[in-house]
Amino acid sequence: MKANRSSSLVITIGLAVLLIAAMAVAGCTDTANKNTPAVTAAPVSTPAAVVTAQNAVLAATPVAPQATSAPVSTGQKQTIKISGSTTVLPIVQKAADQYMVTHPDADIQISGGGSGVGIQAIGAKTVDIGMSSREVTPAEMAKFPAFVITTVAQDGIAVVVNPVNTAQYLTLDQIKDIYLGKITKWTEITGANVPNTNNQIVVIGRDSASGTRTYFDETLLLKATPTAKMLEKNSNGAVLQTVAQTPGSIGYVSIGFVSKDVKALPVWYNAQKIVAPTLDNVKTKTYPVSRDLYVITNGQPTGLAGDFIKYILSADGQKIVADEGYVTLN
Amino acid sequence: MKFMKKMDGVFHASEGTARFSVLKEQSIKTVFFFTALFAVIVVSFILLFLLRDGYPIFAQVGLLNFLLGPDWAPSAVEPLYGIFPLIIGTLLVTIGAMLFAVPLSIGCAIYISELASPRTKKILKPAVELLAGIPSVVYGFFGLIVLTNFIRVTFDIPTGETWLAASVLLGIMALPTIISVSEDAISSVPHEYKEGSLAIGATQWQTISRVLVPAALSGIAAAIILGIGRAIGETMAVLMVAGNAAIIPDPIWNILSPLRTLTATLGIEMGEVSVGSEHYSALFGVAVVLLIITLIINLSAVAILRHLKEGRAHCPARKPLVSSATRESLARFAGIIGIALVLVFLLAAAPWWLAALVLLTIGAWYFGRDQLSQKQIQTIAFSLVGLATVIVLAILVIILQDIIINGLPALSWEFLTQPPRDLGRAGGIFPAIVGTLYLVMGAIAIALPLGVGAAIYLVEYTREGRITRLIRTGVDLLNGTPSIVFGLFGFAFIVMYLNVGVSLLAGQVTLALMVLPTVIRTTEESLKNIPQSLREGSLALGATQWQTISRVVIPPAVPGIVTGAILSIGRAAGETAPIMFTAVVFSSRFLPDSVFQPVMALPYHLFILATNVPGSSTNKYGTALVLLLLVIGFYSVAIIVRTHFQNKARG
Repeated sequence: MKANRSSSLVITIGLAVLLIAAMAVAGCTDTANKNTPAVTAAPVSTPAAVVTAQNAVLAATPVAPQATSAPVSTGQKQTIKISGSTTVLPIVQKAADQYMVTHPDADIQISGGGSGVGIQAIGAKTVDIGMSSREVTPAEMAKFPAFVITTVAQDGIAVVVNPVNTAQYLTLDQIKDIYLGKITKWTEITGANVPNTNNQIVVIGRDSASGTRTYFDETLLLKATPTAKMLEKNSNGAVLQTVAQTPGSIGYVSIGFVSKDVKALPVWYNAQKIVAPTLDNVKTKTYPVSRDLYVITNGQPTGLAGDFIKYILSADGQKIVADEGYVTLN
Repeated sequence: MKFMKKMDGVFHASEGTARFSVLKEQSIKTVFFFTALFAVIVVSFILLFLLRDGYPIFAQVGLLNFLLGPDWAPSAVEPLYGIFPLIIGTLLVTIGAMLFAVPLSIGCAIYISELASPRTKKILKPAVELLAGIPSVVYGFFGLIVLTNFIRVTFDIPTGETWLAASVLLGIMALPTIISVSEDAISSVPHEYKEGSLAIGATQWQTISRVLVPAALSGIAAAIILGIGRAIGETMAVLMVAGNAAIIPDPIWNILSPLRTLTATLGIEMGEVSVGSEHYSALFGVAVVLLIITLIINLSAVAILRHLKEGRAHCPARKPLVSSATRESLARFAGIIGIALVLVFLLAAAPWWLAALVLLTIGAWYFGRDQLSQKQIQTIAFSLVGLATVIVLAILVIILQDIIINGLPALSWEFLTQPPRDLGRAGGIFPAIVGTLYLVMGAIAIALPLGVGAAIYLVEYTREGRITRLIRTGVDLLNGTPSIVFGLFGFAFIVMYLNVGVSLLAGQVTLALMVLPTVIRTTEESLKNIPQSLREGSLALGATQWQTISRVVIPPAVPGIVTGAILSIGRAAGETAPIMFTAVVFSSRFLPDSVFQPVMALPYHLFILATNVPGSSTNKYGTALVLLLLVIGFYSVAIIVRTHFQNKARG
């Protein structure tokens, strides 16, 4: 490896070239931007607002943007950045849209990336709020002791099968055995049959970094490792799509994603009752599989970030949670 | 220096001017040298960052346990980090993709360059380039909805998410790269070769198969390497169709088994994993292994190329018909291996009638070819070549039709000019369109000067030596680096380490790094095709090297450079993985005011709509369609430019 011999020199040159390139592009794009607002900004906001935004952002960007110290006041442009779990994103995004209607001077920018990215970003203070669909690990808590974690909604996890499947319900043991690979045929389950197939069960789950998966494995599989033959998907949407088009499949998704394309199976909880995965049952904790969704701030949220989180927790904000198919806080 | 003196004589220039021009030449050369070195710098940076974050897992689990461990179960109570099934999965998927793509691509390239009428060519070339512009997320969803379902029903298996689906999809995605580059290579074989061959009585097919294709072999090999790079590096599409079960197919040739690749593992687990944890480190370990695999593949490909070139050099000068025995046996060996692989797959998976048909055809060909006249062989060969082209076009039509039929209802003035509402279920995608434009333009603005500079240095300023080999290895590695790794690097280095934040700039730089090798490769290829005599003539007339390059070599190479830029734009516009962690927000009210602000981008918008917003189907397809139209727009402009330059070069 010749590259390693003079790596320090290489790094210095690399940085220099990168910086030059960056400056060149910064110049280019700024000119490009100046040409566009006349056409583009009109439907979004007034040109004046754009100019203020530019000033505020230019002043704040070289260091990590921290809008939290400034008070919320009308007429002063404020930007906060939010990043993290794509499961929490729809709630926060929609809340932000509503919030910005009543607070025209607020600009809330939301990106996905995943819980891990969100937690890292809030830890490194490149964003003002992180979103997570999994619990913050002890290691992360130790690394960022200033974290303040707020639960904004709950999420139920529904077990879904293809609509052609005649299954009426599953017991917790059956779900466990299917995911551990002990039951491989639908014929082994009373009432279940998938017409025109050999009744082979196609097990679909989430990726091992997913909060949904972690929760599912811990609660339903009692921390056992699911079968290696399980097909792994990286989003609720992908699980839903696969289950909808694969007759013999079984999967699990957030309750908000259940649609007519799939059949959400009630769970035979114990000898007495069969519980359907509905919002009400999750809220009353009758349905056994539900988890919390979080937003995270560095220290107590103040300023715009604090006000925004308060809004999500308010009645208006929780209405959005319900609209998006998640479970509101009690 | 001797040369400079000679030049002085011609120009009667003063001593001072001469010294100045020497200085100028030197500094120009230095600048090009650094652009060429850039690829190496970037690769060492990426490797350093990956190793830094991946090292803990090697230390903890042990290198052998990590590489050869049979179980990947990071979320188990006692986590297992064995990536052997993932390595096997990656290799199998790539081999399958090449088995699918290479015959189709070469057939299609031959058809476009040799058989198609100029008019057909004018339609076919952009059509193929269009395939390159379809975003990988769209391929993924096409694969998930159409392809896997087709495979499930055809082979009557419980799920269509299989090795076969992944290979076919990756093969389709590699098609445009392989076709475009091999077509360029075949087209640029000097006319004399073809005319000479036809003049001594060879049929057109003999000319193609024995003269043109061998003469273009280095270009075709480069095309295949680029294609392999594309296939190995693909993340978003493959994770949607491969099933991602971390198992080794049983038996190993069972193409109907689900499997999981290294890239898919990164793609599905990276976002959620806790930064700095064991699992995080294991994922960086996966990325390191992925890079090393691409290193091995690229180095062996380079070795094969060198072998081919040496084989040609041994022959008498300028004789295109290489009859070297080693080459023949090599080709035969490759052919037998290919046929054997196809046979194994057929017997393992295909319906019996298809297997029988293929076996029968091969048998008939093997025993009957001596009875056939050259003319008949030509007819058969041409129909096969035509068939390959038709298949490629059919694939394009099927995918386009799916997007257009589903996306057209979403298109409206409001959709194009409004920001999204209700999580993108309503409203428009205007900020995403502008964001994608900014990203792609910035990426090309960075990559084009660097890439063209590097190619000029490699072709014009140096002979093959240690430094060029180092640079070329760097470019090859960069080319093979999966887009998701660029994304990770962009996040770890630009966003976090340089503290730029999630921003337009971070995305532009990341995308630029990703498309850099494509720009270098295609530019290099088109520079190499400029006849040496032009350079010699220019230098003989007393022009300096820079004058020769800027006035004589570059102008006729512009069409090739533009082709490279087109492929790059197409790729950059549709990529999700590199910008996911570096540049994008899901929605923003305002357009970015500076490069330090994040933007919306079409592929990411599409990705979120498709995976995390239920009930957004119409707008999802609408976004895909707009992205596609945008790319077509880029292409049309670029094609007009290319035709313009071609005409100018000829006139």
